[in-house]
Amino acid sequence: MITKLVAGKPGLARPLSIVGGVLLIVGALLPWATFQLNIMPYPALSTLQFFDAPFGVPGFRLHVMLLGVAVIAVAFAPAAIRGRTTKALGWGALAIAVVNAAYLIVEGGGFGTITSAHGAFAFGAVVSAVAAVMAIVAGSAYPAAPPVTWDLKLAKPLEWLVLVLAYAALLKVVADTLTAGGRGGAANPYAGAVFLSFVAFLFGVFGGLNGTGLLRWVSAVAERHRAFSAVVLLACAFVLPFTEAGTEQWIYTATNIGVFAATAIGLNIVVGLAGLLDLGYVAFMGIGAFVAANLSGAASASLGVDLPFVLVLVIAAIVAGVFGAIVGSPTLRVRGDYLAIVTLAFGEIFFKAAQNNIAGATGGSNAIPGIPPLDFLGTPGDAAITVFGAELAGGVLYYLLAVVIVALVMVLFANLKSSRIGRAWIAVREDEDAARAMGVKTGKIKVLAFLVGAAIAGVAGAVLVHRLTTASYESFTFLESVTLLSAVILGGMGSIPGAVVGASLLFVLPEKLREFSDYRLMLFGLALVLIMRFRPQGLIPDKVRRAELAGETAEGGSLKEAEERAVAEQERADDERLGRTGVTEGRS
Amino acid sequence: MSSASDRSAAPLLEASGVSMVFGGLTALNNVSLTVGREEVLGLIGPNGAGKTTFFNCLTGQYVPTSGRISLDGTTLPSDPAKVAAAGVARTFQNIRLFPNMSVLENVLVGRHVRMRQGAIASIFHGPGFRKGERLARERSRELLDFVGLSQVEGELSRNLPYGDQRRLEIARALATEPSVLLLDEPTAGMNPQETEDTRQLIFAIRDSGVSVIVIEHDTKFIFGLCDHVVVLVQGEVLVAGTPDVVRDDPRVIEAYLGKPPEDVAGTATEGEEGR
Ligand SMILES: Nc1ncnc2c1ncn2[C@@H]1O[C@H](COP(=O)(O)OP(=O)(O)OP(=O)(O)O)[C@@H](O)[C@H]1O
Ligand SMILES: [Mg+2]
Repeated sequence: MITKLVAGKPGLARPLSIVGGVLLIVGALLPWATFQLNIMPYPALSTLQFFDAPFGVPGFRLHVMLLGVAVIAVAFAPAAIRGRTTKALGWGALAIAVVNAAYLIVEGGGFGTITSAHGAFAFGAVVSAVAAVMAIVAGSAYPAAPPVTWDLKLAKPLEWLVLVLAYAALLKVVADTLTAGGRGGAANPYAGAVFLSFVAFLFGVFGGLNGTGLLRWVSAVAERHRAFSAVVLLACAFVLPFTEAGTEQWIYTATNIGVFAATAIGLNIVVGLAGLLDLGYVAFMGIGAFVAANLSGAASASLGVDLPFVLVLVIAAIVAGVFGAIVGSPTLRVRGDYLAIVTLAFGEIFFKAAQNNIAGATGGSNAIPGIPPLDFLGTPGDAAITVFGAELAGGVLYYLLAVVIVALVMVLFANLKSSRIGRAWIAVREDEDAARAMGVKTGKIKVLAFLVGAAIAGVAGAVLVHRLTTASYESFTFLESVTLLSAVILGGMGSIPGAVVGASLLFVLPEKLREFSDYRLMLFGLALVLIMRFRPQGLIPDKVRRAELAGETAEGGSLKEAEERAVAEQERADDERLGRTGVTEGRS
Repeated sequence: MSSASDRSAAPLLEASGVSMVFGGLTALNNVSLTVGREEVLGLIGPNGAGKTTFFNCLTGQYVPTSGRISLDGTTLPSDPAKVAAAGVARTFQNIRLFPNMSVLENVLVGRHVRMRQGAIASIFHGPGFRKGERLARERSRELLDFVGLSQVEGELSRNLPYGDQRRLEIARALATEPSVLLLDEPTAGMNPQETEDTRQLIFAIRDSGVSVIVIEHDTKFIFGLCDHVVVLVQGEVLVAGTPDVVRDDPRVIEAYLGKPPEDVAGTATEGEEGR
């Protein structure tokens, strides 16, 4: 409604966004809490006012201030980028304000915490929220402009440098996000607030950068130097253990994320490419896990065989893949909702079977504990290692293994997607009957999607179980399937970076938000509803390839060209009609 | 030598006694027709006559209640995928492209049935795979060029204007290397210029050695295009013959056009301009 008030008045946009930006800075400097909370002080020195020492502002208050500065700066930037960028920055600031206000109200026991109580005033959150809304409104008031694209090509070494810097920044962001707020729990009640504020800040920053066209340009540069960016990205992943996120705990979390990211990419084949809903996907991960547990030489496994791990991975993939094909075979007959029910049922059957120690292969409620660590060329996987004089935490080797697996799965996905098989999957998703009429054997191709997806999950499960050292049916619940599916949808169906970001978010959040663990499903549901409403294509939609196919990176550019082409076409058609009318009539 | 001449004399596609009954409704009743090599056959008839149903029977979407359909002497299987492989391709009355795939990818899906790469090759992208992929892309681009869409190969097909979508459907069908192409109302919704372009396109397709069956309501278009015309009314073949014969047949005029003879041309023109 407020947006409508200013919609027709672009003249108001700039003053409004400048005021919003200034107020964001003011809000950041004002105290946010009227008193130190009882359990422990709220982060970012929330009770202090910083007008005398504006450079000492820490934490989320610093972030709000930076967003404010950015909003003001953007008001003087080229007109084309103002709207989108300001809006994104505003949303980021609003999210930070709301998250912290909510925490302060709940933990402090009332609205007094963020307004006035006991003669103390703390309007930081309120002022920031209002200012953020002003920025958002101002952002929508700027005249609408098409997304900006940079037609910039640099010399090769410079573009490489850009990529190195971009990925280094990404590494820093990943490390900071992992560690933000520390691990949640009773001793660290504000972990969730700090983490969520940081993520909100990142959303503001990335949204803003996206509005300027910088991200599109960088991804275009990455697209130009694919091999190089793959190498740098991989290198960055290997450097993570050397950063502040290199503690045993965060490397453990990162390993988990890697394993689930690989699984999410596998699920993306089934759901994103072939368009088949699978609600029991985690069962395939479980199958891989129990296969690996039984072949690991664990004393508690009924099948105490100890095979080389590479062989175990292959067997896990095959067994899970076979089950995938079996579960997928009803897709020959059933579609849509019915398929979802079949997969849901399979997930439950697996869960119950594993719980009841079927064929003595799962250990039932005793699970299969004591899975020995993997052997990496003589070094046990859970040992700390020293590289270049730096002592790396235990579990780093598993992390590296997870990175390699994710990289391989990414290559597999990308290769399949741009192949005859991948196109057939997408065609089935788009219009099954038309695909069939074009000669695609839709039944086979759908079963193949299930098979490949399941095999990937099987491999991921085999890695996971070694890291966990225990294979228990409890790790493979319906909740896990839902989380994976949510990761795929949240990130963007059919998109690799989307699946990785989705999996990262959804598998880090539980570490940070322990106090919400009972509400996990509810929050996922809420997040999905919001995504479906505001960004149905997902956080990182699968767009790069489309641009690549168009032979250019610029959406705006290609649109304009298409328009010109259409005009030319029309003119040509007009000419021809004039010239050919006689012929046409002669014929009939 | 005799076998070669026999082959060219025998019809390419032959439907004999095809009937299709849905519950109590007889959509097709004992329909027989033949299509020769490099022939354009027109299939006309009022709404609900069973034209699309006949296409669905030809391509295996429906299993006919009775009758036999053969291509080059071999009975066609009743599975759309196998029919496409055998060399019969089609377009749809209500366009059915893959909306979120690019124009080029749509045509590449048509190449699917002529490519051999399996899952393993698709995962590893070896030299053989890359060669096949390159050839497929080359062939698809040629086809896009042929139908006049090479400028928009990267566009999502759902963003194309209506007429271009129809042409893309034709290119996609041609990518399967059919010997018979079935077009279900290829000019529906087109302006006169686009209709004329489509006619030239169909001539070009015929000249490239592909037989075509066209369903159209636009009789002027059909009579100016086809070598033979079959009139279907209420699931039965009413008249079959050359355009001249069909045009002047009083039964056709009565059943299909519902107008006295002298108004035939006028009706057709009106029909075209109404679009
Ligand atoms: N799957 C089906 N189930 C039941 N009836 C069907 C089915 N398909 C077609 N019909 C019926 O068969 C008859 C012929 O339909 P068809 O679509 O073949 O007509 P058409 O000649 O293509 O008409 P139009 O010119 O309107 O496209 C219609 O009465 C239709 O309702
Ligand atoms: Mg029809």
